[in-house]
Amino acid sequence: MSKIIKKFFGTLIQKPWDKEQAEIDSYHEGRTFDISNQKSAVIIIFGIATVLFSLIFTGYIYTLPPEQDTGYLLKPNLLWINTIVLLFVTYYFGKINNDLRRSEILQIKRNLIIVGALSYLFLIGQVIFWVQLMKSGNYVSTNTYFSSFYFFTALHGLHLLGGLYFWGKVSSRVIKLKNNQILDEEKNISALSLYWTYLLIVWLAFFLMIYLFNDAFIAWCKSLIS
Amino acid sequence: MSEDFKDKNIIQAQSSETISGSGSGVSPDMDYVRPAEIPEQDLYHGHSFITKWVFCQDAKVIGVQYFCLATFTGIIGLILSWLMRLQLGFPEAAGFMTAEHYYQFVTMHGMIMVVYFLTALFLGGFGNYLIPLMVGARDMVFPYVNMVSFWMFFVAVGVLLASFFVPGGPTGSGWTLYPPQAILEGTPGSGMGIILMCVSLALFVIGFTMGGLNYLITILQARTRGMTLMRLPLTVWGIFTATVLAMLAFPALLVSAIMMSLDKLLGTSFFMPTILKAGEVLEYGGGSPILFQHLFWFFGHPEVYIVALPAFGIVSDLISVHSRKNIFGYRMMVWAIVGIGALSFFVWAHHMYVSGMNPWFGFFFATTTLIIAVPTAMKVYNWILTLWRGNIRMNTVMLWCLGFIVTFVNGGITGIFLGNVTVDVPLSDTYFVIAHFHMVMGIAPLMVIMGAVYHWFPLVTGRMLSEKLGKWHFWATFLGAYSIYFPMHYLGFIGVPRRYFEMYDSPYMTSAVGMNEFISTAAFLVGAAQFILIFNIVKSLKIGKPAGKNPWKANSLEWLTPSVPPEHGNWGERLPVVHRWAYDYSVPGAKDDFIVQTTPPSEVVHTKVEKT
Repeated sequence: MSKIIKKFFGTLIQKPWDKEQAEIDSYHEGRTFDISNQKSAVIIIFGIATVLFSLIFTGYIYTLPPEQDTGYLLKPNLLWINTIVLLFVTYYFGKINNDLRRSEILQIKRNLIIVGALSYLFLIGQVIFWVQLMKSGNYVSTNTYFSSFYFFTALHGLHLLGGLYFWGKVSSRVIKLKNNQILDEEKNISALSLYWTYLLIVWLAFFLMIYLFNDAFIAWCKSLIS
Repeated sequence: MSEDFKDKNIIQAQSSETISGSGSGVSPDMDYVRPAEIPEQDLYHGHSFITKWVFCQDAKVIGVQYFCLATFTGIIGLILSWLMRLQLGFPEAAGFMTAEHYYQFVTMHGMIMVVYFLTALFLGGFGNYLIPLMVGARDMVFPYVNMVSFWMFFVAVGVLLASFFVPGGPTGSGWTLYPPQAILEGTPGSGMGIILMCVSLALFVIGFTMGGLNYLITILQARTRGMTLMRLPLTVWGIFTATVLAMLAFPALLVSAIMMSLDKLLGTSFFMPTILKAGEVLEYGGGSPILFQHLFWFFGHPEVYIVALPAFGIVSDLISVHSRKNIFGYRMMVWAIVGIGALSFFVWAHHMYVSGMNPWFGFFFATTTLIIAVPTAMKVYNWILTLWRGNIRMNTVMLWCLGFIVTFVNGGITGIFLGNVTVDVPLSDTYFVIAHFHMVMGIAPLMVIMGAVYHWFPLVTGRMLSEKLGKWHFWATFLGAYSIYFPMHYLGFIGVPRRYFEMYDSPYMTSAVGMNEFISTAAFLVGAAQFILIFNIVKSLKIGKPAGKNPWKANSLEWLTPSVPPEHGNWGERLPVVHRWAYDYSVPGAKDDFIVQTTPPSEVVHTKVEKT
């Protein structure tokens, strides 16, 4: 990151009108970062999604009901199993990246299918947990603790569905391809892998924040600004 | 590709902006750049009318589509403002209008003008048309996604306008849509109106994100050889930074729109406190209306710069071209654009001084608000210093640019008033605020749009607009706009509140009656004057003087395409190679007073470098 910042400021102090600088600039290939367009798109989406999820969490902290037990969602429940499923997805994407490096075509195809299946399993698990939560009397309108949870997980799920749409497109192409043609899809596959890793980080960050921002901590924060 | 380049193409690029990542085949050396050019883009060329002009993937067509649709919604916004001014100036002639109608018109006018007109026009219109041309690309990097972006915008506009025809009409909660009143009975459009508004905004944000991805990646990753970031015209810098702002600010609008819809539809209470209505406690409780204000203004203030930064960039280029001088302090201009963009995320709560915030917060946000005036003032000085001793062409484009500088300074100075808590509190919710923001983010950017239309119309259509009609259009708009907004400052000082349907029973308001009549008359005339431009466009399309190539003798790449107007793919067989920045005007020793960006050094060996 520090190198990127250094390069960024290095760029901003260039004098494009100077003869010496002009000679250097004229051989510039026109690309700022040596990464694919697909990966660039995923990174930008990370930025947008990070703001989105951060704002939802800010809303959560801002409106958390004082009487609510903030540890309720952290008790042993289906969410932990769903989290393990999501961890497995990232693990299998790691395997796909290794397979790409070793050009193991069959493994790539197999692991891509596993990734999709596990992602759908995660989504189904989420829906089941929602049903369980509602059966226990905690609806989206019960209070802002649960409203934020439903909202956050719904948006996370939508992001996952968006990823699965592109996974479907890439996988359907990859499965039909033979031998080393699959390696042409490397850019798309590694972009997908990056995306899933990000969704895992967001998921873990959400639970970490529920754990950290407990009643006592929020009361302390409010005392600072009141 | 020039001979110069062919001889030396084994030299690796070493611009310090190039950063290697973890992509395939990369070197650990941070400055290493593979010598190969960016591969040719595979473009989809439409053949039928539908694929060529409707569901088209050419960024230029998409730009024109954005421009036309944004202008259409802008005209609706203009008509709504006429109706509001009719009520305020001549209420006896507006008997058909109820208070509910008035609030609905206020709301829809504000939202349309800020989001669906200015944002869409600057980023969707100019961004799509100019980015690929100015950076030397064949098209946006994801043309299909770009096309979907426009059609999402189209649907968003459709949903927004549909709210005029649902029971209860559109929302009348003010363009800020503050809850709890926005979704409670008693506010016009608190049923389907507010839901459609939220849906439309969500669609707009999703669509814009698709377009924004294209703008950013095209600028960062798809420039032609020799086009470093610091050789980009300031127009591209302005659009680039505004897009970054939009990508970070629009999520706040999306989140608030969705949360408010959930409050309305599912009974959540994100923004709804405990409410007692007619002696009965509503089911809501525990939420915070102030949270909505924070979210809204976290989007709303950067939104001002999402509109302003492209305007800053465009006007810098127009001033440079039409005063035949390099832009004064190019680097400082880039720093100012980036600096303003960054600072714009730390000032949002100056819109909330009267919301009961902690005084230390007010102090913090007043300070950041005043700091943002520094880079902004730098830009104004640099525009004036670019004009200083320039070979100024006093044409229509230049008139709009000068009009912009004056108007922007005017609106900016009143912003310094309102940025201070102690001054803002008494002026809050008065016509002073209306005058301020219309000057700084309404009229000023509009003047840049007009200048840009007169400047780039020859490129888009191959014909010149009439200068005579253009000057009539400018003077009518300029004088008329000042006739509207100068008196509004006075109205604010005497305490006339905004968003009031009528106020003539108040004895202390009588002095405002004549002024309101004057303002309304001016508003009708200024609005009507905009049809001069439409007439000019229609006339010039038919019988306008052919523009030929590069009629303004400009340096930037968009004027250097093999055909005018540019065709799909922009550059014929070969991409241009850039050898210089876009501001070599009146260079000492040069044969002409401009040296285009593709001119290699060998063709202008006797020129001297101008310091800037």
